[in-house]
Amino acid sequence: MEKTNFNQKTTHEKGRADWLRDVDAKPKTRIVWGTILVLAVLPFIISAPLAAEILIWGIFGLGFNLLLGYTGVLSFGHAAYFGLGAYCCGLALRYWHVSLWVALLLGVVASVLLACFIGALAIRRRGVYFAMISLAFGQMLYFLALSPLKHITRGEDGLTHIPVIHLFSFSLNKPLPLYYFVFVIMSGLLYLTFRILHSPFGKLLQAYRENEERARACGFNTTLVKFFSLVLSAFYAGLAGALNTIYLGYVPLTTLFWLTSGTMVMMTILGGKGTFLGPLVGVGVFLFLQNTISLFTPRWELFVGTIFVFIILLFPGGIMGTLREKYAGYQMSKLKKRSTLS
Amino acid sequence: MYLRTEKVSKHFGGLKAVDEVDFHLRQGQLKSIIGPNGAGKTTLFNLIAGVYPPTSGKVFFRDKEITHLSLHETSRLGITKTYQITHIFPSLTVFENVRIAAQSRVTSFNFWRSTHSLREVNERTLEILEQVELVEKRSWLASTLSHGERRYLEIGIALATRPEVLLLDEPTAGMSCAETNLCAELIQKLNKNLQLTIVLVEHDMTVVMGISDEVLVLNEGKVLAEGTPQQVSDNEEVQRVYLGER
Repeated sequence: MEKTNFNQKTTHEKGRADWLRDVDAKPKTRIVWGTILVLAVLPFIISAPLAAEILIWGIFGLGFNLLLGYTGVLSFGHAAYFGLGAYCCGLALRYWHVSLWVALLLGVVASVLLACFIGALAIRRRGVYFAMISLAFGQMLYFLALSPLKHITRGEDGLTHIPVIHLFSFSLNKPLPLYYFVFVIMSGLLYLTFRILHSPFGKLLQAYRENEERARACGFNTTLVKFFSLVLSAFYAGLAGALNTIYLGYVPLTTLFWLTSGTMVMMTILGGKGTFLGPLVGVGVFLFLQNTISLFTPRWELFVGTIFVFIILLFPGGIMGTLREKYAGYQMSKLKKRSTLS
Repeated sequence: MYLRTEKVSKHFGGLKAVDEVDFHLRQGQLKSIIGPNGAGKTTLFNLIAGVYPPTSGKVFFRDKEITHLSLHETSRLGITKTYQITHIFPSLTVFENVRIAAQSRVTSFNFWRSTHSLREVNERTLEILEQVELVEKRSWLASTLSHGERRYLEIGIALATRPEVLLLDEPTAGMSCAETNLCAELIQKLNKNLQLTIVLVEHDMTVVMGISDEVLVLNEGKVLAEGTPQQVSDNEEVQRVYLGER
């Protein structure tokens, strides 16, 4: 290390601007526009219902990744937010005959409120304890819908008889109009997520994941950070759940089951947690494999599972995660070379 | 008095880690805390910084009681600590490591504005990276730095929070001899040039005796001696504890 130079200003303003360019380039929204473009043509590449399902779960995944990938908090009960969003939207449509927007809003608000409640109770628990508490809440909701509230939720049969929704003379029970309706929402959410990740709050989420104690010593109230992250991801989950109700036209009880949470964890890890596109890629690969293989065999899980094992062996950080690592490693070796040269 | 503790104690079960310690600090002072392993140095630090509350006693900063403030609250008042075991954000870049700390004084929960547009924060980050000699490695991942560089980054993160009082917990731990000397020089400069009040826990006696205005000796949680480096090193009791003479 060289001798410390304090008093002399060794550099001038221009040097500073150059330095900043390396580390603080203006965030480029290319990745958002590129993704939107791909999604715009997706229903012409794969079947429209599958594409719509990918979008809906993709929204769920975007939010879940904020919590698991960026904040480093594992929730094993995200089905609660997804399912509650789905049920509230469905119940409002069936019993109160509200409009589409009101139904979506109700689903989202219910999930966010639930996250505030669970968050207030469990936010101080860490790691596996938090995961277990969230799982417990999730299962509580599942069993609540299964029998005590059977007269309104229709228990195991799922909530049916949800009226068909129309938007500008398109009926949303047709795959293509529905796809483009969700697509518009997804585009907005992609941009929102992008803004969040490049904002002070987004950096704070990562600081929390990297080293909570240090983030506290920097003067951040880390409990609040985790709380907001949970609520934010519940917002995405609730919206995805509500859209899922519109898409299916009914609410299956499994939306609240722990397997829904588990599948989400798996999709996010498969795609690469903590990467912008990871959850979307994970959801896409998972649902595509599931849909394709289940055409040939009812034991599709066996084959999908085997494929996952191979994917994770090839991409230990998830598909996008490992690609990014490779790219970062390449950049790093370039930097090191440059610094040894100079 | 600028920063002081009043008969502050911390018990962990039956262990009296810190036992009725009165600690005084004047503004602008560079004070070291020394003592054998387990003397309670880090615990005293943690009590001041608010990592955990004391079992009994009080802590005051600028005549305001801060005994029960938590870590992030004391940090906002201007008391920032560094860690004996390096605490950085390993998979973020060196620049991001310092920027997060610098941003803490400006904004925390803004989720729409881009950090790119926080010009003052970014400028300040570079300034600090210059001070701790890491500006060349600004785009490196923190996990790829050498041990000595990580210790510097640790100090950089602490500086970025604009502290008035800097609590340095063994900043030179694990550094080579040459690195230790440079680090001591850096600490002295922070104290003299930036007028930071510094409390230093340190094992390296040459560093302590070389740069401190005052030294506090702890042993088994109690104050053994206090005074200028000269007074402390002449103290027979201190010699007995350190050299094991009877």
